[in-house]
Amino acid sequence: MKVLVRNENSTTIIECTGEVDLYTSPKLREALLKEMGGIKTNVLINMGGVSYIDSSGIATLVEGLQLSQRTQTRFGLYGLRPNARSVLELARLTKVFSIFEDEQEALAKISTTMPFSGLS
Amino acid sequence: MPKAEHFLRIVITSEARLLHILRCAVRFCAQEAGVSASDMDCLTMAIDEAASNIIRHVYKDEPSGRLGLEIRAFPDRMEFTLEDSGPKVSPESWRPRTLEDVRPGGLGTYFIKCFMDEISYDEDFREGNRLRLVKHFTPAGSASHEGSGQERK
Repeated sequence: MKVLVRNENSTTIIECTGEVDLYTSPKLREALLKEMGGIKTNVLINMGGVSYIDSSGIATLVEGLQLSQRTQTRFGLYGLRPNARSVLELARLTKVFSIFEDEQEALAKISTTMPFSGLS
Repeated sequence: MPKAEHFLRIVITSEARLLHILRCAVRFCAQEAGVSASDMDCLTMAIDEAASNIIRHVYKDEPSGRLGLEIRAFPDRMEFTLEDSGPKVSPESWRPRTLEDVRPGGLGTYFIKCFMDEISYDEDFREGNRLRLVKHFTPAGSASHEGSGQERK
């Protein structure tokens, strides 16, 4: 799995490519903590290159959402492949995350999305 | 019991970096057995989650443990057996958390129960744990929608 971080219109975009599993999810977590632990920034995860995600990967995404809740920033996903979307649907998380079709939509709407406040 | 049409046995050490090998094995066998792409994804995830649980909770991330996977494909089902040599696991530990409680973790067993029809531990297996996971298929060749995840002792 590869993780690349870039900045677009004051939003941090984390490009994730490959399989996110028990072995690779700590790498994504590390990137999330680094980007969200410093300056306040909205974060988008480009999931377009994610061919597989397991429960540890989903836990990492939920952790990102929790961090955004704490820091009063926004956190969103875009470019989800059908299998990743199915997994999130099964876990009833599609209404918890802000999910966008593509980067253009994500960048246009991320600032105006309501922060999720239902995390424990 | 009819003879399995396809059979594969693979043993890895309890290292998370090797999980992709198990996923490849599941995908290969499911493809050979003519399972649909979406069902193949479900089976792959279920076995991956079960193996991840063994690495994390049975071996506590200690990489020198042994993790075996046997895959049998029958015309009406696929059977997966995961073996480890760690401390006994209580079936009680398979209770997934409620989905209303949105927090990181605890989804692995939920996914396994969603995707598999039978989940059982072999109580006669003495040198660790032997977990059996079964997915039944309809006569048309497609898997039943969501596994009942019934635990059998």
